[in-house]
Amino acid sequence: MNDDLLKDQETLTLREVCEHCSLDQEAVVAYVQEGLVDVKGNNSGSWRFSEIHMIHIQKASRLERDLRLNPAGSVLVLELMNEIDRLKKQLKFLQRQDNKD
Amino acid sequence: MEYKDYYTVLGVEKTATAEEIKRAYRKLARQYHPDLNKDKKAEENFKEIGEANDVLSDPEKRAAYDQLGQNYQAGQDFTPPPGWDQGFEFTGGPAGGNAQPEDFSDFFSDLFGKAQHQHQSEQRQPNFDARGQDHHARIVINLDDSFTGEKRQITLKMPELGPDGHVVLKHRKLDVSIPKGVREGQHIRLKKQGAPGYGQGEPGDLFLEIEFRPHKLYHPEGADLYLDLPITPWEAMLGSKVKVPTPAGVVDLNIPANSGQGRKMRLKGRGIPAKTPGDLFVVLQIVLPPADSEKAKELYKTMAKELDFNPRSHLANGL
Repeated sequence: MNDDLLKDQETLTLREVCEHCSLDQEAVVAYVQEGLVDVKGNNSGSWRFSEIHMIHIQKASRLERDLRLNPAGSVLVLELMNEIDRLKKQLKFLQRQDNKD
Repeated sequence: MEYKDYYTVLGVEKTATAEEIKRAYRKLARQYHPDLNKDKKAEENFKEIGEANDVLSDPEKRAAYDQLGQNYQAGQDFTPPPGWDQGFEFTGGPAGGNAQPEDFSDFFSDLFGKAQHQHQSEQRQPNFDARGQDHHARIVINLDDSFTGEKRQITLKMPELGPDGHVVLKHRKLDVSIPKGVREGQHIRLKKQGAPGYGQGEPGDLFLEIEFRPHKLYHPEGADLYLDLPITPWEAMLGSKVKVPTPAGVVDLNIPANSGQGRKMRLKGRGIPAKTPGDLFVVLQIVLPPADSEKAKELYKTMAKELDFNPRSHLANGL
């Protein structure tokens, strides 16, 4: 079995991402417009996505669906969650040092 | 099967209005959504909350449920009396979009599942080809596995629809290659190990998100590692050469004189091994020798007498 570590090389087209995530083009374009993923150019035909981009798009789409958000909202939630996770880890680490006394 | 008290699940009174139920559901959904809540039970709770909302927000279902459950309490043994749903017409599927049959408890499936299955089998016609859904799971591995790359067998618990229509929790054993240099939060894709496809469609993939178990030495941050290094006050103040463990083996570290508590020393490229390896940050932890012998106490008294040192001089006058 071929196990892949998800790469950050950008090889997927908009169409492939839509198919893979079962989303329509409008939905994915909306995430691009919110800046969720970093794709180059204004021509959606030449956009290339990585598998990691795809995971982010899937997450945003689940939040939109389950929590009745719009694209701007779900992207903001994702960004805030990432920041919260980062802070929690940092806090845990810093508290560990305090406990050594 | 067990009776489920949906009112308790949502934290509302049995007399709650539709609006109150909606509000309670929305608040809990935000709290337990698995993408926002990393707790092990979050996903299970989220599904239960969704199920409770599905029943209590649908007037037909709620009426039937209320009539049925008049004399029952959560957890009690329960069988639906024959003909209980006479007069009630349940239309269609759940409010939650992509729910699969295995997303619902036995209790729900037994009571409302018929309409569920009808709705869903209407959606999946045999001549409808589509790729199966992707599954996501989180796996916890040892940091050491990332240093060397390892093949590991992991067991996942996946809910599946059994032959009799009840949900069974199936244990799946999978062989996974942990790539060398993998970091927390990265995903490994196991092709075609997700949900089966429809018609001629291919199965979806299984995505495993990496999480590390706490390690006794290192704390990972991205590709970097942090190591607390206990040193003596004289090693810190006079400078010294000490041995430090790294994933690739023990190395020598020069501690400059007058190093303060918490000083971070960077060992470039000695973090998580990879094509572009992370760094190892050694955090100096100055440890005071205990004054547990006469000799030690004498030495401390000498220091107190001979060193002109007041760490509180900045606090206020006369301190």
